[in-house]
Amino acid sequence: IPESGHKYYLQFSTEDYRTGEDAGSCLATVLYPKKKSPPVVSIKCSRTKDKKEIQEEDNRLYQRIRHQTKPITGNDIPDSYGNIEPALEPVWALAVAGSSSIMWEKSTETLGYFLAQVKAVKQWMRKDDFIEFDYTVLLHEIPTQEIISCHMRLTWLPGHPLKVKHFCASESPGMDGGSGAESGSAAGASAEKGANF
Amino acid sequence: MKLPVLLAALVAVATCFETFVGHQVLRVIPKSDEELQKVQELQDLEHLQLDFWLAPRGLGLPIDIRVPFASLMLVKTHLEASGVSYSVMIEDVQALVDEEQTEMLRSSRQLPLNTNTFNYEAYHTLDEIYNFMDMLVAENPNLVSKLEIGRSTEDRPLYVLKFSTGGTNRPAIWIDTGIHSREWVTQASGVWFAKKIVQDHTNNEGVASILETMDIFLEIVTNPDGFAFTQTKNRMWRKTRSKHSGSICVGVDPNRNWDAGFGEAGASSNPCTETYHGPYANSEPEVKSIVDFVKSHGNIKAFISIHSYSQLLLYPYGYTETPVPDQQELHEVSAKAVAALSSLYGTKYKYGSIITTIYRASGGTIDWTYNQGIKYSFTFELRDTGRYGFLLPAKQIIPTAEETWLALKVIMEHARDNMY
Repeated sequence: IPESGHKYYLQFSTEDYRTGEDAGSCLATVLYPKKKSPPVVSIKCSRTKDKKEIQEEDNRLYQRIRHQTKPITGNDIPDSYGNIEPALEPVWALAVAGSSSIMWEKSTETLGYFLAQVKAVKQWMRKDDFIEFDYTVLLHEIPTQEIISCHMRLTWLPGHPLKVKHFCASESPGMDGGSGAESGSAAGASAEKGANF
Repeated sequence: MKLPVLLAALVAVATCFETFVGHQVLRVIPKSDEELQKVQELQDLEHLQLDFWLAPRGLGLPIDIRVPFASLMLVKTHLEASGVSYSVMIEDVQALVDEEQTEMLRSSRQLPLNTNTFNYEAYHTLDEIYNFMDMLVAENPNLVSKLEIGRSTEDRPLYVLKFSTGGTNRPAIWIDTGIHSREWVTQASGVWFAKKIVQDHTNNEGVASILETMDIFLEIVTNPDGFAFTQTKNRMWRKTRSKHSGSICVGVDPNRNWDAGFGEAGASSNPCTETYHGPYANSEPEVKSIVDFVKSHGNIKAFISIHSYSQLLLYPYGYTETPVPDQQELHEVSAKAVAALSSLYGTKYKYGSIITTIYRASGGTIDWTYNQGIKYSFTFELRDTGRYGFLLPAKQIIPTAEETWLALKVIMEHARDNMY
């Protein structure tokens, strides 16, 4: 849109992260203004599950975590071979949800993300009913191919929105030194299609 | 026989650091009561520390004695002086114990003895893959040979398997996997492809017909330094492990290091980034060795470089928006290949040129090979689309390899049927 920015019209379907079941479809518009500021998003989705079902699943997830007697900790989820210990699946599910909010904030017209791995997770026990986790997650950045390490603090109680605080530092291959974002990536990189070219 | 049981017991003891170096096992078959008695006398001499594997039972029945090294001289002299004949059953007990231990470790670690017992459903170490290659060659010497096309930065051999039924410098197909070391499903698929080619040839089906007129070259671990690093230090390592002066950062992106739009937009000049193109084209031995091979071979007709993840089939260019002259044909072949792939498990793939399908990328492999005149230059991005990403569960290795193979066959057959 001349003088204004780039506007994208999107139609996409969603699926349950765990089961792959169809979870509904969405229509959205995303406007990236000419000057660098957060995009303007309008979105409308149809759900396949009703509110009650979602509530029940949330409660089940919550109970699974609350029933643990010791604080949950874990490393490398999935591991190098793609395995996720069944006991850590709920914790991974929360990481997926939480890191999606990080990715939402970090994404731009030319930079997209995937959750590559949960490097570490530690549960903080609270006196109230909320559950709280400290995560180190690795995000795979497209098209730069960088692996970004983010620290994420996540708090949740069913019926309440997920609360996520995060801080990301880029993990450069030499482990030190800033990573340059001077990758010269072209405009027009598709935000949906990640690739490891 | 009691032997294996006793050996196993010895191994158990051996692993507690007891040694049986120089110990021998002697067998006596007493032919008379006197002989029997002479041996029984030995039993009473505790200081000899004799271990009767088969105790004296009667005339004509063997007596097996493990004799420690220190007592050997004494025992043999005693028997010889008494006219009791004996034979040496085991010359060195420790040697046998060692062998057994190796065998036990081997079977517990499931080190395969041949490519039929190799576990294709698991991810393997570099050594295991190199061992697999050697076994495959040994089992099929008339079809498979192993070429060393160069050495990596850390001096690891760069091996290519050649599948050929004869001829001289036949038109050939090149497939490489593992150029980006963290993309583990690709090396694992490469191993499966190697076995599949052999099987097809044996059963005279599938690619057997292609092998009648063409050769196949397969480089399974195209970036061994990176691969070793993903196993020991950093599972997410992508690049090579070269150090170029002027930077503390390590590694060059081997898929930005080729001489096609080298250094242009679509790669990074910062050594600390994942898409660093390197100081100059072909600076990486992993890349240079393939370049040299392709040039000297001169008759490669299809070149397929395999990556993960994203589920895409791509053709050139990545460094420019100008479409390749053969755009239409490559697009049609891609459509067919993707349809074949999806037919097996319903896996959805998208296809198109690199720059229009994913993003601008310069110095890429298939841009260079295409510009060399290798018309059928393709890149695959295998499973998945991001849920597991690089950490694809091992149980998906075989399904991934199987479906990809169907697409590869479409490309190979098209190359064979459209020789240029």
